[in-house]
Amino acid sequence: MSGAYDPLMPWTLAWLAPYIGATVIALGWLLKVRSEKFYGYTSVLSILVSSLISTYAAYKVFSQAKPIYAGGDVVWVPWFNITLGTYFDGLSALMSLTVSWISLMIAIYSVKYMEGDWGYGRYFFFFSFFVGSMMLLVLADNLVLMFIGWEGTGLCSYALIGHWYTDEEDKWVGKPGRYVLGTQMFFEPSHSGVRAILFTRVGDLGFILGIAILYITTGSFNIIELASRAPEWMQTLASKGILAPLLLIFILGALAKSAQFPFHEWLVTAMTGPTPISALIHAATMVKAGIYLFLRITPILFTGALALKASPEVFSLVVSQLEHFFIIIALAGALTAFMLATMALVSDELKLILAYSTASQIGYMFLAAASAGLLVYTGAIETLVEGLVAGFSHLVSHAVFKASLFLIAGWLIHLAHSRFINDMGGYSTIKLTALALWLSGLSLSGIPPLSGFFTKEAVIHTAISANTLLGLAAIVTAGLTAAYTVRVIVRVLHLPPYSGHGKHKVEEAPISMLAPYLLLALASLAIGLLWPSMANIYSRMGLLTLSVGELVHLEAIVISGTTVLAVLVVLASIALIFLLYFTLKVNFPALLGRGGLYSALHNFLYDRWYINPLVYLSFVNGGAKLARSVEGVDINIDLLYHSATPSTGSLSAWSLRVLHRGRTDYYLALYLLSALVLLFLVLALMR
Amino acid sequence: MSVLEAPLLWFTIVAPTFIAILFQATVLGSLGPRVLAYVSSAILAIPLFLLAYKWLWGYNVLVDPLKLDLSRYNVGVIALVVDGFSAPLVVGVSLVTSLVAIYSLKYMEHRIWELEHGGLKVPGIYAYYILYNAFSSSMLGMLYSTNLISFFVFLELSLITSFLLIAYYGYGERLRIALMYFVWTHIGGALFLAGILFYGVNAGTFDILTVKEWALEYNKVYAGVKVEGLALIAPLLIILGLLVKMAVFGVHMWLPYAHAEAPTPVSALLSPNLIGIAGYALARFGLTLFPGFMESAKHYLVLIAFITIIYGGLVALRQDDFKRFLAYSSISQMGYILLGVSTLTTFGVAGAMLHYLSHAVGKAVLFMIAGVFIAEISGLRSISAMGGLARLYPTTAAMALIGFMHLVGMPPAFGMWSEMLILLGLSEAYYPGSLYDILLIAVAVIASFIVTAFYSFIAMRRIFFGRPKRGSPLEVMDEFKVSILIIALAGIILFLVVGLMIPQLRDSSLELLALGGLR
Repeated sequence: MSGAYDPLMPWTLAWLAPYIGATVIALGWLLKVRSEKFYGYTSVLSILVSSLISTYAAYKVFSQAKPIYAGGDVVWVPWFNITLGTYFDGLSALMSLTVSWISLMIAIYSVKYMEGDWGYGRYFFFFSFFVGSMMLLVLADNLVLMFIGWEGTGLCSYALIGHWYTDEEDKWVGKPGRYVLGTQMFFEPSHSGVRAILFTRVGDLGFILGIAILYITTGSFNIIELASRAPEWMQTLASKGILAPLLLIFILGALAKSAQFPFHEWLVTAMTGPTPISALIHAATMVKAGIYLFLRITPILFTGALALKASPEVFSLVVSQLEHFFIIIALAGALTAFMLATMALVSDELKLILAYSTASQIGYMFLAAASAGLLVYTGAIETLVEGLVAGFSHLVSHAVFKASLFLIAGWLIHLAHSRFINDMGGYSTIKLTALALWLSGLSLSGIPPLSGFFTKEAVIHTAISANTLLGLAAIVTAGLTAAYTVRVIVRVLHLPPYSGHGKHKVEEAPISMLAPYLLLALASLAIGLLWPSMANIYSRMGLLTLSVGELVHLEAIVISGTTVLAVLVVLASIALIFLLYFTLKVNFPALLGRGGLYSALHNFLYDRWYINPLVYLSFVNGGAKLARSVEGVDINIDLLYHSATPSTGSLSAWSLRVLHRGRTDYYLALYLLSALVLLFLVLALMR
Repeated sequence: MSVLEAPLLWFTIVAPTFIAILFQATVLGSLGPRVLAYVSSAILAIPLFLLAYKWLWGYNVLVDPLKLDLSRYNVGVIALVVDGFSAPLVVGVSLVTSLVAIYSLKYMEHRIWELEHGGLKVPGIYAYYILYNAFSSSMLGMLYSTNLISFFVFLELSLITSFLLIAYYGYGERLRIALMYFVWTHIGGALFLAGILFYGVNAGTFDILTVKEWALEYNKVYAGVKVEGLALIAPLLIILGLLVKMAVFGVHMWLPYAHAEAPTPVSALLSPNLIGIAGYALARFGLTLFPGFMESAKHYLVLIAFITIIYGGLVALRQDDFKRFLAYSSISQMGYILLGVSTLTTFGVAGAMLHYLSHAVGKAVLFMIAGVFIAEISGLRSISAMGGLARLYPTTAAMALIGFMHLVGMPPAFGMWSEMLILLGLSEAYYPGSLYDILLIAVAVIASFIVTAFYSFIAMRRIFFGRPKRGSPLEVMDEFKVSILIIALAGIILFLVVGLMIPQLRDSSLELLALGGLR
C-alpha cells in the first residue's frame, strides 16, 4: 500500500534538517572551521527549514483535514519493520509547529548571546541536534524512532547543561557552600549535567522496557498500528492484570523527562547551562517531550477502552486498570504542581524560580490529561477531547511565555552580573523588556485576556470534573503561581536591589535578543485575544488527532463558579504581594535573620522539601556504600584466588616435602602408621 | 551464499603475521614500521569491506574457497566462513584490529623506548607486530571457524600471543600478571577442550557447520549425542570454560589485572574483542550442542548475568586507575552478552551478537583514549589526577562520550540496538504474567542497566570536566588519534546501517535456536 503514503520529502526534513545542520557543524569543527558565523547561521538556517516545513505541514493537515504520513513504507530496520515515518496529525502538527518556531527564536537570540564563548561551535552543534531530536520524537511514527529522538534530547540536555564544564563559580546553581543534612545543595555545571542524564535515564530504561514488552505483546512498534489495535492488546494485558503496571513503567520515561515528582530534582539544577538553553529545555524541547508522549497515548488508551464497551465485563476490567494508572499520574501531576510552586515562592535565583515554575506548570498538563483519562468510565469522547486540548493548549501557552521569560532572564542576569534576584532591581527603566516581562508573567499567572488564563482555566475545569480535590489543588497552585510570579516581577522591576550589587548600566538588549522575547510576549497576548478562533483550531486538532477523529465543539471558555473562584484566588494573591512589598514594605531578608517559624518554613521550601538530600542519602550514598562493600568482596575474591590458593598450594607442597626426607626410618614409621589407620578403617567398616 | 573468488579469508589469517615476519627477518625491514603498520591495517580491514560489499549485494554468507578435508581422522572439514551470526563480530574484530594497528605505532614506539630507557631489553617493534598480527588473525580465525578443533587451535593461538604481548610489553608486575592470565585462560581453555572432545568423539566429527553447495547447513549429528548422567559433565565443562573466558562474576578476577596492565593497544583488543568471543561461542556451540542443558540452566545464567552487570559496574565505580576502571566495565558488559544469550530467544541471542560489536567499538575507543593520556601526559592513568581534560583534548572528550554512549546504549551509538534487542529477548523469555512478574523484571532491568549509566557519566565528569588540573600540550590530531576517531564515527555509521546486518542475523539466530529445538 505504498500509494497510501505521502512522499518522503519534504516532510522528513522537518526533523532531518536540524540533524543535517548538526552534522555540518560537526564536520566544520573537525575540519577546523573556527568562525562563529558559520556555526550560528548553519544552526539557525537548519531550524528555519524545519519551522517552514512544519508550518506548511500544519497548514496542509488542517486545510485538507487529513494527517500527513510520509515514509511509512521506508523500512530502516527490516526485522522489526522500523520505518522512517514522519507522521503529522492534529497533535503532532501543532506540536512541531510550536517546537520549531520557539526553537528558532531561541537560536536567533543565542547567536548574539553566546558571542565570544569558548564553546560556541559545541553549543550550536548540540542546539541543532536537540531541536532535531525533539522534532523526531514528535513526528516519529514508531516507538523506536521516538525513543531515538527521546534519547537525543537527553544527550543534548546533558551536554548543554554542562556546557561550561570547567565549573567556574558564577556558573553554579544554588548558594555556594550550602549543605543540608550533609548533602551538597549547590551544583557545578558538570555535576548538574550528570544529574540530568542519570535522573532521566532511570525513566528512559522504564520507557524502553515498556516498549519491548509492548512489542512482544503486539508485534509492532508502529504507533498508528498500536492505536488501531489498542482494544486487543489492552484486553490481553488487562486480563493478566499488568496493564496498569506496564503503562506506569512505560510512562516512567515521560515523568522523568518532564521532571515530575519524584524526578523533578534534575530540572531545578539544570540552570547551570547558558540561559537560552534553559529556555529551550523548558519551553520547546526536553521537558515537553514527556507530556507530549502522555498526550499522545492518552487518546489511544481512552478510545481503546471505549471500543471494548460492547462487553461490559472486559470494559470494566480495562477501565479499572486504566483508572489506577491515571490516578497515579494525576496525583503526581497535582503534587508536582503544588510542591514546586511553593518552592518558587522563596527561591532567590531568577532562573531557579522559572525552573520550579516549569515543573509546576507541566504538572498542570499531566493533571489535565490524566483527569480526562480518569473520566474514561463515562464513555464520553468529549471529556477526552477537553482534557487533551486543555493539556496541549496549556503546553503551547507555557512554551510561549516561558521561552520569553527565560530569554528575558538571560538579559537581566547579564545586566546584574548575578543570578540572584536580590542583586537585581529597578529595571523598569528598560520599557520594552519590562513590558515583555509583565505580559509573559501575567500569562503565567493566568490573568485574562492572556493565553495562560484560558488554558489554565481549561485545566482546572477538567481536573475539577474528574475529582474535586484535584481541582482544588489546581486552584491553590494557581494562587501560588500568581504570587511567585508577581513577586519576582516586582522585585526585579520596581524595587531597588537589596544589595549594592546592581550598580551596572541598565540598557535594552540588542535587537536580535530583544526581538525574540518581545515577539513571544506579544504572542501570549495575541493568542489570548484571538482565543475564540484558537479554541476552534484546538477543536479541529481533536478531530485530526490519532485515535480521536471526532469533531467535538469546544466552548472558548466556560464561565462557571470555578472560573470565578480561580480568578479571585489569583487576584487575591497578587494583591497580597503588592501589599507585602509596597504597602507594608516587608524586609524579607531581615525577617529571615530573626529565625522562628518563618525562617523554618522558608528553609524547608528553600531546600526543596528536603527531597534532594533524601534522594542522595538513600540512593546516591546507598549506591556508593554498596559499591564500597562490593569492592570489598572483590578484594576478598582476589585474595582467595591469588593469595590463599597459591599459599595453600605451596604449604601443602612444603608439608608433603617435609615427609620425604629420604630416610628409611621415617618411611618405615609412616608405613606402619598408614597400615594401622587402614586396619582401623577396615575394622570399623566391617562392624 | 557467496563463495569468494580468492581465498581472502585465509589471506587475512595468514598474511599479516607472515608479512610482519618478513619485516623482522628480511631486508623489507628497512621500509620502517609505518609501512608495516599500514599494510597490516589494510589486510585486517579486508573482512570489514568484504562484508560491507557483499551486504550491499544482498549476500549473507561468505565462504572461502580453500577447504581442508580431515574427515578421515574424524575431525571434519576445516573451512572458513562468515555467516549472519558471526558477521557483527567479524566487523568488530576487523574494525578494531585494523585501526589499533595504526594506533600501536606511536604507542608502542613510546612504550618500547620507555622499557629500554628503564634498562630492559625487549623485542622490537617488528616483533610486536608479529605477535599483534597473529593475535588479531587468530581472533578472526575463531570467528571464521566452522569446526570445533580449528576454533580451539585459533583460541590457543590467541591466548599464547596475548600472553606474550603482556609479558613483553606490559606494565606493573607484568611477568606475574602474564602468568596469571595464562593460567586462568588455560583453565578455561582446558575445560572447553575436554567438553568439545566429548562431543566430537561421540559424533564422529567436529564440524558445526557444513558448507553445502547453496547454503550453510548446521550439523545435525549432534542432535544424536545423548547428554545425560555422567555426560552432563561435558556441557558443564564447556560452559564453565567459556564463562571463565568471559570473566563473569566469580571467575573474573584475572581480567582486571591482565587488561589493565597489558600494553594499551593490546588492552584495546583483549577487552573489546577477545573476551566477547566466548559469549559468541556459548551461543553458537551451546545452543546447538546442548540446548536442553542451556534450557535448564537458563534462570541461573540470567541471574549470573544480572549479577555480573551490577557487580562489574559497581566495582568499576570505585576504581581510580583508568584502565582498571575500563577492565571492570568490560566485566559488566560481558553480563549484557551473557544476558542476551541466556534468554534463549532469537532477539536475545541476536542482541548479544550486536552487543559484542557495540562493546567492541565503545571499549576500543575508551582504551585507546586511556592510551592517549599514558603516551602524551607522562603516563597519566589515575582518574583522580585527571579532570578538566576536555579543555585540552576536546576531540578526545567527544570521542570518549561516543565510547561511553555505546556502553550505555544511547543513540546515535550502535549500543542502542543491542540493548533494545536484549530487552526484547528478556521480555519474550520472561513475559510477565502477573503484577509481581512485571515489577521483578522492571526492577532487575532498571537497577542493573542504570549502573552502566552511572559509572559512565560519572567517569566522564571526573576525567574530562571540572577545573583543569594541569596545563599540557594541546591536542594534535595525528594518526594516533585519528584512528580512534574513525572507530568512534564507525560506531555511529553502524547505528545508521544496522538494517544491513539485521536480516541475516535474524535468520541465523532463528536457525541456531531451531536446530536445538529451542524454537
